[in-house]
Amino acid sequence: MKEKLSCFHAAILVHMTQTGIVIFALPGLLAVQFGTNGWLAVPLYFIVTLINVSLIAIVYRVGEGKSIFDILERSIPKVMLYPLYVFLIGLWSLIGCIAAKKYILLFQLIAFPTTNPMAFKFVIDLLAYALIVKGLYNIAKTATVFFWLIIWMGLFLFYFFGDLEWVTFTPFVFQGGHHDVKTYFDIYAAFLGYELSLLFIGYSDRKTRLVKAIIWGNGITAINYILICLVSFGFFSLPQLKSLFVPLLDLLASIKLPFIERIENLLYGFFLFSTILTIGMYSWSAKEVSQRIFPTVRSRFLAFVIVLLSFIVSFIPKSLYEVDKWLRLLAYLEFWVAFGLPLLLISVLIVQRGSKGELSHG
Amino acid sequence: MVKCILIASVLGTSIILSACSDRRIIEEIGFIQSASYDRSADGQLIIAISIPKADSGSKVSREEFLTTARSAKEARITLSRQSQLTLASGQLRNVLFGCSLARLGIWEHIDSLVRDTVISPQVRITLVDGDAAKLLTRQYKQHPIPGRYIEQLLEKSSRNQTVPKVTLHDFVKEYYEEGIDPVAPIIRDKGDHVEIGGIGLFRDDRYVASLHPEEALIFAFLRGKFNQGEIIMDLGSRNGIKETAMLSAINSKRRITVNFDQGVPTVYCHARIQGSIMEYNGTLKISDIHGRHQLETQIAQNVTERANKMIRLMQNNGVDSLGIGRFVRNSMSYSGWKSLDWMAKYPEVKVIVNVSVFIKDVGKLKI
Repeated sequence: MKEKLSCFHAAILVHMTQTGIVIFALPGLLAVQFGTNGWLAVPLYFIVTLINVSLIAIVYRVGEGKSIFDILERSIPKVMLYPLYVFLIGLWSLIGCIAAKKYILLFQLIAFPTTNPMAFKFVIDLLAYALIVKGLYNIAKTATVFFWLIIWMGLFLFYFFGDLEWVTFTPFVFQGGHHDVKTYFDIYAAFLGYELSLLFIGYSDRKTRLVKAIIWGNGITAINYILICLVSFGFFSLPQLKSLFVPLLDLLASIKLPFIERIENLLYGFFLFSTILTIGMYSWSAKEVSQRIFPTVRSRFLAFVIVLLSFIVSFIPKSLYEVDKWLRLLAYLEFWVAFGLPLLLISVLIVQRGSKGELSHG
Repeated sequence: MVKCILIASVLGTSIILSACSDRRIIEEIGFIQSASYDRSADGQLIIAISIPKADSGSKVSREEFLTTARSAKEARITLSRQSQLTLASGQLRNVLFGCSLARLGIWEHIDSLVRDTVISPQVRITLVDGDAAKLLTRQYKQHPIPGRYIEQLLEKSSRNQTVPKVTLHDFVKEYYEEGIDPVAPIIRDKGDHVEIGGIGLFRDDRYVASLHPEEALIFAFLRGKFNQGEIIMDLGSRNGIKETAMLSAINSKRRITVNFDQGVPTVYCHARIQGSIMEYNGTLKISDIHGRHQLETQIAQNVTERANKMIRLMQNNGVDSLGIGRFVRNSMSYSGWKSLDWMAKYPEVKVIVNVSVFIKDVGKLKI
């Protein structure tokens, strides 16, 4: 019998999948988009994710724990599902690969600037591959270990409390922002990752309390983001925050301990753990979907092909601007997948229930 | 097992290979510790850098380089031609700007420093009354590495509130923020040593006025909260005797409130100062509670007068170095603030300073 996810592991897995490279730009994005006290938008985004999670919860309850593929394939012919599957494979493997490329390009801002970024990408993809082939249960356990390896960095936020000036926050809420539609999606990218929990359904049982785990994981992410953004809005002045490309990196660079300073390189390295998890989970999801198209092909081989293809694709975007452009498009598509896929599944389940009712009545 | 070895070897090889092009050997790197910016007579930029020598066998403790260029980055390329070392800015601690250059504006240089990911936001920004390059490259008998000497001098002085602590982050924050202007400490060359020359006040990125070093603590009282410092008060003359008091171990808190009367803001700046009297040569009996109260009132009056004078100087020069505008902004509506031309209004704003002093003790003596 397959091992099932525990509630704690699932929660941490959701949190770690969400925590990726967008966290570095998040305070700046909020400042540009919402203006004054933009950090207050984080709870609003959290509420939107909860609405999405409630759709996933309906799929879980009504589908009685069946995997999303079983639900879809029961009502829709497989051939008709293939375009959707191919789209999901492409989208999820690209999100993983472009997120990794962005992590590397940001890393090269502070270290090894002239090294070929694809050399780092190769190493990261190799690690991601080693993670994917181990299966979801082991990925979840790895996520828990990685979580403990990075969560302590939250203590550094206390370092800034002495430097926070309440006058900098201003009493104004959401004034002076751009309120640009595209940037709403850019910010939402920081929360994406929980939607992959749709694929956990087949790996969980009652004890997993999956919906509770997703909410908890999401909650940890939201609290984390609120604290980071709150500190950023007090530490930087608003126009300064707007001008910074990766404010979290500047925040880390400002830490000066009596025995050490300039530790942002070291701390940024720790974020590799959460980035690998994000890459791993998106690639694993792509592999899960590809398994439905090629059920007889070995899972390891599929994982290898996905990682290899995404590695080749990641040669294309060369600058941070290009990577951001790609990520923006991918996050936009993923937002609609996050809401669209559960809605599609709910519709299919309603049809299935209706025909079941007709059969029982007939 | 074979797979593990394979993965480990691929990882190891990749890391080694990837590190090849960005190799750093510490003996081959010149870590710039301090840099100075001046303006030459023909309008060019004079840049000097100071590099402490890591080699213990070397007779000299530092190396200095000087060049003329159009920008700091161009200067770094030119300077690297003069040195056998690879110049690195990651350990930069001080950036000194000559006052004559600062009067023209320093944002383009600050922008270059902020943009460079290698440079720490904790780098100190300092003005030099005179030639910054000369101060940085001078031989001080007792201080073989001037960069480090200046860093320690500023560190100690900012702890004692003799100058405000101004890092690259602080300067940029205040430059960008509405309702406050940046400041920077001033130092000057005194032959065999360097001394604190006051506080430079900026309008945006241009240095426009300065405060005397003796006024630094008054500035600190008005600017925020602090826990360490000492000040000598000239309390005037009584019966032909010049009275002075020294207030030490100071704790100070500041609160600013704003009232609007028919749309015109009046700013109330209240400072609560607490400290110990370490020296007093007046006629009051400070061991007595009434004498202490009288002295507290005298000190409060003295601080208030000096604070008013300082605020007038700032208003006359159009510099909001105390950040009064931020409090005015926070007491208005957003649209009201946006429609207000704060810097035009600022010189006419009424600022009422209210200082209360509390003497904790008068030292070990009972008399």
